[in-house]
Amino acid sequence: MGDSAYSFSLTTFSRTGKLLQIEYALNAVSNGRTSLGIAAKDGVVIATDKKVSSTLIDVDAVQKIQSISPSSGFVYSGLGPDYRVLTRSARKNASAYERTYGERQPISQTVKQTASLMQEYTQSGGVRPFGCSVLAAGFDEDLEPKLFQVDPSGAYFGWRATAIGKGFVNAKSFLEKRVTPDILLEDAIHTCLLTLREGFEGEINGKNIEVGILEKETGSFRILKEEEVNDYLNEAN
Amino acid sequence: MSILAYNGAAMIAMAGDGCVGIASDTRLGVQAQTVATTFQKVHKISDTIFVGLAGLGSDVQTLSQTLKFRKNLYELREEREMKPKVFSALLSTLLYEKRFGPYFCEPIVAGLQEGKPFLSGMDLIGAPVFTDDFVVSGTCTANLFGTCESLFKPNFQPDELFETLSQCLLASVDRDALSGWGGVVHIITEDGVRTRELKGRQD
Amino acid sequence: MSEFTDQSAPGSLPSGFDFSLSSRNAQLTSDSKNSGINMMAKKTGTTIVGTVFEGGVVLGADTRATAGTEVADKFCEKIHYLAPNIYCCGAGTAADTEKTTELISSQLDLLRMSTQSQSRVVTACTMLKRMLFRYQGHVSAALVLGGCDISGPHVFQIYPHGSTGKLPYTTMGSGSLAAMSVFENEWKEDMAESEAVDIVKKAISAGIFNDLGSGSNCDVTIIRTDGSVDIKRGVLKENPVEPLRAMVNRSMKFTMASGTTAVLKDTFVKAKKKVEEDEMVTN
Repeated sequence: MGDSAYSFSLTTFSRTGKLLQIEYALNAVSNGRTSLGIAAKDGVVIATDKKVSSTLIDVDAVQKIQSISPSSGFVYSGLGPDYRVLTRSARKNASAYERTYGERQPISQTVKQTASLMQEYTQSGGVRPFGCSVLAAGFDEDLEPKLFQVDPSGAYFGWRATAIGKGFVNAKSFLEKRVTPDILLEDAIHTCLLTLREGFEGEINGKNIEVGILEKETGSFRILKEEEVNDYLNEAN
Repeated sequence: MSILAYNGAAMIAMAGDGCVGIASDTRLGVQAQTVATTFQKVHKISDTIFVGLAGLGSDVQTLSQTLKFRKNLYELREEREMKPKVFSALLSTLLYEKRFGPYFCEPIVAGLQEGKPFLSGMDLIGAPVFTDDFVVSGTCTANLFGTCESLFKPNFQPDELFETLSQCLLASVDRDALSGWGGVVHIITEDGVRTRELKGRQD
Repeated sequence: MSEFTDQSAPGSLPSGFDFSLSSRNAQLTSDSKNSGINMMAKKTGTTIVGTVFEGGVVLGADTRATAGTEVADKFCEKIHYLAPNIYCCGAGTAADTEKTTELISSQLDLLRMSTQSQSRVVTACTMLKRMLFRYQGHVSAALVLGGCDISGPHVFQIYPHGSTGKLPYTTMGSGSLAAMSVFENEWKEDMAESEAVDIVKKAISAGIFNDLGSGSNCDVTIIRTDGSVDIKRGVLKENPVEPLRAMVNRSMKFTMASGTTAVLKDTFVKAKKKVEEDEMVTN
């Protein structure tokens, strides 16, 4: 890093022992659009609100859910450009892992590497922390579907179901009431949409949300098409 | 003479029924001169993974240490045991990384994966070969292929596998000046590993 | 610093070849006693072919890998996966064809994720030729690349130095002349799939029987414009090992009796899992 007077880490402890920059980063996350996910027995669903700030924006060009490998995917709340850096690094790492070990990278390892990258940006000079939290859907080493969350501090958690971004507290308590340990994917998708609709401003439809599913049966991650999302929404009505 | 044959070696890995075996000679020579008769060429990576390294002695030792290091690191990082298939892939990547300045070493891997035998062999730059019967490596591969082709049968029990491996190895090294001077055979089962040192010709 | 300029972002892995042993090896191999050493890398003395037909492409390969004159593998795979709609046959140094296609496959994977579109055969061809040209032929991979994309079925040939050609049908490897004789004699434009597969099988057989570097069986991969792929391992097994082995009538003398081998020392180390199991029982 540079030698300037500002090349020390901005993430310096305050006298009360807090890392304010990380808390601000978490604020950036909770101001961001809501994202949530549920890990079912036979798969994982992740979904996000992708309302845009202007009607002039081409919504089709916005994609918040990204696949990391054919069998894993990320979604985020917070700053989009920061998220792009994370997906790029995660994809590269996942590919390199597969080339080295001849096996798909377990999602826990993808998450650990992403978390390490985010941690590094809380302790290095001349940088700021990432302004986004990530939800990661993938398989662990026993091919069980798993859901993880990674925060700007570099902390990561495994969840049965969780939410990040605007209104995440309400969304989480909504999920707590509805998600059981033996929930199945189809059910989880409905619960996910229901939760998203609960905190949604305006009419929810296939255009202003995004849903990604990981199926244990096929072993693959895919983003649902607009019509598919609409079908699920209609089923719920 | 090739650097690969500088120190001399002969080794076989062979599959059995729920067991797998790996055998090697124990000679370390400097071309025609024998320097040691107890050189270790087969290395235990885990309870279910063994690797045989035939080639330049210094590279054999460097590579075995690197492999154990990488395996330990993997197991600490991932909190799970490394499978033979993964180990073989890792070894192949490690070798190809040095494509233009290779380790002079041709490895064979013998392992048990979910109770079933796993065998692989590769050249010095990591081109893998997977088989379900046997793999050979060293300075008398032609001899080894010959004895294995004639003595191998599918589904050996651990004791039969041991006798076959031993006889294949001993017969081969007796027709190779660069290898021999005793041998060692490991028979790997789910219960554990039986290691036997063989009595071989000392000439 | 940006995601585009900083190639060595924290957390990223070291990449590329490691030349650290090169000078040592040059010294070792320049020693007068050891002069003229050939690196004993495995080669795939090979016959590989590819052809276009009306609804896709057919790739074919033999399955022999050689080390010098020794057959190192009788049933190896020479048709490598690059993308769901693109496959690639490899001839030359086995490790080079294997690892080069693996690397490009993973780069195509990343490209597909960021462009969210199907890989094109020309893209794969360009990536391969750029890599091979960079290494000036030292990465010795001779490839037949085939696949179907938005612009139809394509076959390319790629030489180790990085030159390429786009052709309706092509052959590569030590058996390429034998295989080409079949193509030159029988190939037609807009063949049906079955016809194309037959010619490919015949061409590979010509390589297997007339070229010493090629042998064993014939693998065929069909990639159709409708997106379906058929991977057929050993469609022709003209030189099967199993019946030969079964024919050998071994005397019982060749079954080594227990105790045949003189043993100096015998030790048994219980597997860690078993030791733990036993402890559980005793506790």
